[in-house]
Amino acid sequence: MITFILADLRRFWSGALAIVVLIALSVALSVTVTLQERAVRLGSARAAEKFDLLVGAAGSETQLALSAVFLQPAPLPLMDGAVLSRLASDPRVELAAPVGFGDSAYGHPIVGTTTGLISSLSPSLSQGAMFARLGEAVVGSDVALSTGAEIKPMHGAVETGGETHTAIAYKVTGRMAPTGTAWDRAILVPIRAVWQLHGMHGADHHDDDGDEANVHGAAEPHQHDDGHEEGHDHEHGYVDANAPLDEHFDVQTPGVPAVLVKPKTIADAYRLRQEYRTGTTLGIFPAEVLTRLYATLGDARSLLLAIAFGTQAIVIAAIVLVTIMHVGSRRRQIGALRALGTPVRSIVTLVWGELFVLFAAGILLGIALGYTAALVISVKLAAATAVRLPVGFSFDDLWLVGGFAGVAAIISIVPAFSALRSSPAAALRA
Amino acid sequence: MLALDISGLEMRFPGLAAPVLSIDRFHLPAGGRLAITGASGSGKSTFVNAITGLEDVGNGSISWSGMEITRLSSGRRDAFRARNIGLVMQDFHLFPGLSAFENVVLPIKLTRRLAAKERERALYLLSITGIARPRQKIETLSRGEMQRVAVARALLSRPGVIVADEPTASLDRQAGHEVAELLLQLSAEEGTTLVIVTHDAALAERLDRRINLANGRIEQDSQEVAVQ
Repeated sequence: MITFILADLRRFWSGALAIVVLIALSVALSVTVTLQERAVRLGSARAAEKFDLLVGAAGSETQLALSAVFLQPAPLPLMDGAVLSRLASDPRVELAAPVGFGDSAYGHPIVGTTTGLISSLSPSLSQGAMFARLGEAVVGSDVALSTGAEIKPMHGAVETGGETHTAIAYKVTGRMAPTGTAWDRAILVPIRAVWQLHGMHGADHHDDDGDEANVHGAAEPHQHDDGHEEGHDHEHGYVDANAPLDEHFDVQTPGVPAVLVKPKTIADAYRLRQEYRTGTTLGIFPAEVLTRLYATLGDARSLLLAIAFGTQAIVIAAIVLVTIMHVGSRRRQIGALRALGTPVRSIVTLVWGELFVLFAAGILLGIALGYTAALVISVKLAAATAVRLPVGFSFDDLWLVGGFAGVAAIISIVPAFSALRSSPAAALRA
Repeated sequence: MLALDISGLEMRFPGLAAPVLSIDRFHLPAGGRLAITGASGSGKSTFVNAITGLEDVGNGSISWSGMEITRLSSGRRDAFRARNIGLVMQDFHLFPGLSAFENVVLPIKLTRRLAAKERERALYLLSITGIARPRQKIETLSRGEMQRVAVARALLSRPGVIVADEPTASLDRQAGHEVAELLLQLSAEEGTTLVIVTHDAALAERLDRRINLANGRIEQDSQEVAVQ
C-alpha cells in the first residue's frame, strides 16, 4: 500500500511538491499570525507585570502606559512634584519612584529614577554597584556599555535632532540583571541629575501649570518658552556629579512625567488609583491599559486569521481541482486495479491516503515554517525593543492543527469516491 | 478449473436499438480452451467484460462452475474475479514505479498481507515467464517482457480460468508469439480454463475451440454441438 503510494508520488513528484509547498505556506501564515499575536500579548503582559500602578499628569492613559512600560519616546505632560512627595509618604505605598524620560545616549533611553525602582526591577545587580552619586548610572542588561564607561546624555534622540548635554557625563557603575522588558535597553540615572541637567531646581524653577512639560518631550525638544539659543543657558543647569543621592522628595520637588507606585495591597492599589484620578493627575494600571490595547490587536489578529483562512480555502479549492483532474487522468489505472480484483476499500484508501500524505506533509512543514517565522520575528523585535516575546504552542493550537487535519481528511475523500463512480470496464475504456 | 455457462444473455448500450451482445446459450467445459474472434464492434470486448464481471449485465445469467456472477454485487464480483479469474489485457495495465515482482504481487498486497508461499510463487512465475531480474522497474522492460509479467500476475492466485483480451495485439510478431506460447503452456500446466480474445488467426487455430462473433451474436462455433 505505502509502496504503491510512494511510487505514485515519485512519479508525480514535482506536482506533489508544489501541492505540499502551497499548503505549507498557507498553514505557515496562520501559524505565524497565531503564535506572534500570542507572543506579543504574553511578552508585553510580562513587561507590564513590574509596573503595578502608574500616576502621571492628566492626559492619555495609553501613552502613559507605553512610555513607562516600553520607554516609548513621546512628549508627556509633567505632574506637580508635590504628588510624588505625597505618594512617597503615603502609608499604603511600598514604593513610589519617579520616572523621568527624555534624554538618550547611543540610542538607549536615559531614565531618571531612584535606587528603589532599580532594586524592584532587578533585586540584585548582575554586575557592579548601584549608583551613589548624581553622576553615576546603572545600565540595563542589553546596553553594550561596561562599568566605568562614560555616557554623554543627548536631549531627545538622534532622530529628532537632539543636542548633547555638556554639563554632565554619567559614569556606569553597575548593570541590572535581565528583566525581559524594555528597561533592559535603558540607562538609569538618579532623577535629581535629570532635573538639575534640565535646570529644574525644585520649587524655584518649578511652575505649577505644567507648561514646562515639553522640556522632556523627546519629539519636540526645542519648543520652549525661550528661543532655542537663549534657552540653552536656562535649560541646561549645572550638575555636581559628585553630589550624593537624595531620594527624599518633599513638596518642593520638581515635576515628573510619571511615578511608579507599588501599593501594599490590591485594595490599596484600587483606592490609590481612584484617588489620583482627579482633574490634574491620572492613575492607571498599565496591565489593564495594555489589555485594552490588545483587544484592538486581537481584532487585527482575527482579520489576519480570516485572511489566512481565506488563503487556505483558495489553496484547498485549487488542490481539490488538481486532484479531481489527476484522478480523472487516472481512471484507467483505478479501473485496472479494480479489474485485478482490488477491493473498493483499498482503492479508496489509496487515493485518499495519497492525498492525505500530501496534506499532512504540507501541514507539518507549514507548522515548522510558521514557528520559525514567529521565532525570527520575535528575535528581531526583542533586539529592537528588548521586550522578550515568548513564542510557544499552547493547548488551543491542537484544535487549529486538528481542524486542518480534519478538513484535509474530509477533502481527500472526495476524489477517492469520484474515482469509483463508473464500472471497471468503463474506467478501463477511459 | 472452471466451466462457463451463459444463458439468455443480452446487453444493450443506451441509445442503441440492437443489443451489443446477445447469447442464448453457451457452455464451455472446465479446462476448455476457447478463442473468440470477430471484427471490431462485434461484441468481443463486451463478451469479456460480461464473463469477467467487469460490467453489469442487463438480462441473463453467467455462471462459473455454478457460481452465478450476474447475481453478485459489484464488490463481490471484484472479489470473485480476484480469486478465480486471471486477467491479461492488451495494454498490460502494469504500474510504473514498481518493480516486476511488486507488480505481480500488487493485487494481493492491496487486499491483504502477502504470504511467504505467494512470494515464492511470484518469483517462480517470473522465472518461468523469463523475467531474469524481478526487482527491475517495470517501465524499463520491453513490451514483450511487460506482457509476460502480466501473465505471471494473472496466474499468481491459481485462478480457475485465464481470460486474455487481445494479449498479443500490441506486441511485435516475435514477442506476441512468445506470449501466446506462454499462455498455452502455462494454462495447460496449471490446469486452467483459457479464454483468449484475438484477431490473430494463427493463435486462434491453436486453441481447441473457436467462436466468431458478429453483431453481438455467435456466428460460428468450431464445435457446433456445444451450441444448443
